[in-house]
Amino acid sequence: MDSPRPAPASDFLVNKKRVRVLGLSFDDAVKIFFGGNAFVSVLVLALITYFLFQEGFGFFGQNHRNLLTYRQAGLEYVDYIRTQESAHTALTRYLSDLRLRQFSHATLEKKLTPAAANESLVAFDNFAALYGDSVEPLRGLVSELTEQATAIKTKFLVAEDKAVERQQLTAEGKIAEAAAVQIETVDFAVEVKALTGTLPAYKELAAEFIKKLDAALLTAPAMPTAELTTRLERFRQLSSDFTATFPATTRSLETWDYTRAVPWYQAFSAFLFGREWLTASFWQDWYGIVPLFMGSLMVSLVALLLAVPMGVGAAIYVNQIASAAEQRFIKPCIEFISAIPSVVLGFFGIAVLGQLLRWLSQQDALAWVPGFPFSERLNILTAGCLLALIAVPTIFTLAEDALQNVPKAFKEASFALGATRLQTIIKIVVPASLSGIISAVLLGLGRVIGETMVVLLCAGNRIAIPDFTAGLAVVTQPVHTMTGIIAQEMGEVVRGSIHYRALFVVGLGLFFLSLAINFLAQKIVNKYRISIG
Amino acid sequence: MDIKTPFTASSSGRSSPVSAAPVGAILIDIDHVDFYYGASQALHDINLKIEEKKVTAFIGPSGCGKSTLLRCLNRMNDLIDGTRVAKGQIKIRGIDIYDPSVDVIELRKRVGMVFQKSNPFPKSIYENITYGLRLQGRSNKSDLDAVVEKSLRGAALWDEVKDRLHTSGLGLSGGQQQRLCIARAIAVEPEVILMDEPCSALDPIATVKVEELIQELRTKFTIVIVTHNMQQAARCSDKTAFFYMGKLIEFADTRAIFMNPANAQTEAYVSGRFG
Ligand SMILES: Nc1ncnc2c1ncn2[C@@H]1O[C@H](COP(=O)(O)OP(=O)(O)OP(=O)(O)O)[C@@H](O)[C@H]1O
Ligand SMILES: [Mg+2]
Repeated sequence: MDSPRPAPASDFLVNKKRVRVLGLSFDDAVKIFFGGNAFVSVLVLALITYFLFQEGFGFFGQNHRNLLTYRQAGLEYVDYIRTQESAHTALTRYLSDLRLRQFSHATLEKKLTPAAANESLVAFDNFAALYGDSVEPLRGLVSELTEQATAIKTKFLVAEDKAVERQQLTAEGKIAEAAAVQIETVDFAVEVKALTGTLPAYKELAAEFIKKLDAALLTAPAMPTAELTTRLERFRQLSSDFTATFPATTRSLETWDYTRAVPWYQAFSAFLFGREWLTASFWQDWYGIVPLFMGSLMVSLVALLLAVPMGVGAAIYVNQIASAAEQRFIKPCIEFISAIPSVVLGFFGIAVLGQLLRWLSQQDALAWVPGFPFSERLNILTAGCLLALIAVPTIFTLAEDALQNVPKAFKEASFALGATRLQTIIKIVVPASLSGIISAVLLGLGRVIGETMVVLLCAGNRIAIPDFTAGLAVVTQPVHTMTGIIAQEMGEVVRGSIHYRALFVVGLGLFFLSLAINFLAQKIVNKYRISIG
Repeated sequence: MDIKTPFTASSSGRSSPVSAAPVGAILIDIDHVDFYYGASQALHDINLKIEEKKVTAFIGPSGCGKSTLLRCLNRMNDLIDGTRVAKGQIKIRGIDIYDPSVDVIELRKRVGMVFQKSNPFPKSIYENITYGLRLQGRSNKSDLDAVVEKSLRGAALWDEVKDRLHTSGLGLSGGQQQRLCIARAIAVEPEVILMDEPCSALDPIATVKVEELIQELRTKFTIVIVTHNMQQAARCSDKTAFFYMGKLIEFADTRAIFMNPANAQTEAYVSGRFG
């Protein structure tokens, strides 16, 4: 290049002077810009992951200590007896239900006035009262023990707090103040004696309890119909099942030992399989993800059940059947749904949809629908309907893409063999795009599981595992969700507390769930590309 | 049942093709047809009679309307919005196939098609061939098995694929795929097979195989083939039609078109001076 070139024809070989800023050409700058963007996204993802893990993993240690305290302070011991009390309460609810049925039989079938109907149920009421009241001594014991166990726990927690305080002061070099902190040592061996000492009293009480129950059962009056008689029989069975558990409970109480170690895995299993999410309770906090997970799952399932036929159906219609004018109208409409802020949808759910669904459920003409009528305005169904609306644009757009990618040649070949349009769609177009459609559905699911505002506003926020024994009516129950709980509780928790960390672990679970769904969708799409060739 | 109206919706079931007609009888009568894509006219006053159990070749420069005319014969153009036959009639066995009473589905069963680019379905070889039959509600296993073997033998493909019938049709070579498409078309026993440049994507050896196949198929089917390959038209066809700018310029015995064309344009095209 340095020798002067006489031939102008080879000018293009000469490296023209380009504008350079800080020694960078324009090409370099473009490269750095795009590369930088990519790098920042990767970095942000890494940071988020790190943060989630860092905040979340402390949870399991804390949860282990939480469970240990539960045992050492004797709460576990008390809960053995408390379980009996709640089982008995469940039985009395069965009796109330039985009374209601008799009452309606009396008023509707026998045409008695309410007063007369109540009159006719006096014998039953006496029986129910006898049965219900027999728990009183046990209840007294439980509340007494509860108080004691709570006291032990509080004492222990206070002592721990003090220890922490002292440690901090020492670290700050304030030796004198540190020495001044009073730490009351808690000797569980002594404290727990107060609880275990009641065992003989409990045994007597339990024996008495069983006797009373059996005696009460003898006073049960005859039922007016065969159906009700079988219900009473069922109740007798349940009652005897209940009393049959007593020896096992006694054994648990006898063998209970506060020094038994809590295995490490329980910190995890209590979270993953725990059926209770109970926080800021006076007694014992439980961080079990199952009710939240089930809530998210049920809401998402309902949403998918509605959104898949709608989204895929609309995609098939628009892509395969609709005229160009219809396409131009329908496509933007569906895509516009995704522009609605989810909080607006949630508001709509509370103000309109929930109300409407409940009103519908209370119409006599619709009484045959399972779960109808229901009284909770905000429930799985309401949230699911709105989430479906959120999933439809995702599913529609991606499924439409998948259908669009089916080579026209397949369709032509099918038509040329004498297939109708419907046959071509069902036998050729949909199967050829099936993996694309499935991944569209999966991505719709990912969208739905991560959605927060709508479920927070419309799912009813009751932390409980849905009662599947209700059959299809399960969708009319309120639930709480993984996303909802984070949004709701994150603002109120103390930073670094076990509750705070538990919420992070729930977030981590969501993160992995979405990751898995996206990964699966990607896998399926890739496979589909290869199969079309 | 009127045997003369095989495509009308009223004729349920498969009325047997009239085999009594002598070879050389007119099967398809294209009668002064004008065809439009929206506002643009693609075919001008086409007048052409296609004989039964003969191979008729359509030749002409690109864009002259060969494919358009071919696709008129099984009404594949119906799938494109805004197309219409503005004038004239196309009759198959004397029935106007654009008559409203005609059942297009039945028509397409009788007039099969093989496309330029092989397009087997992303299904197994077996399912590709039985697709048309299943559409007609035939699901008897041994019946289908027999048709698969017969069609694959008919398409000279049986020996190559008989051990892999249940593998994907997309796993075959290009030439095999095209013969699979031919087998798929003949499986439903059409009377006419339309082929739109069936060899243009194939290598010479695969092309020879398909040409040999056409020679065998001509004994059973009426074949209309579009081709850009003069030798192919000369080798395979009995009659040749030369199109230019949407008009039929010359239609005669293949030998006559190539040896002794009546029209100067035809002469120029077949001798390779333009096109
Ligand atoms: N779908 C369509 N819409 C509008 N015009 C079309 C369409 N298909 C074909 N044409 C036009 O009709 C005319 C004939 O096209 P056609 O495909 O029949 O030609 P051809 O003879 O088959 O050409 P080739 O040898 O390249 O396949 C061309 O001018 C083409 O532009
Ligand atoms: Mg063409």
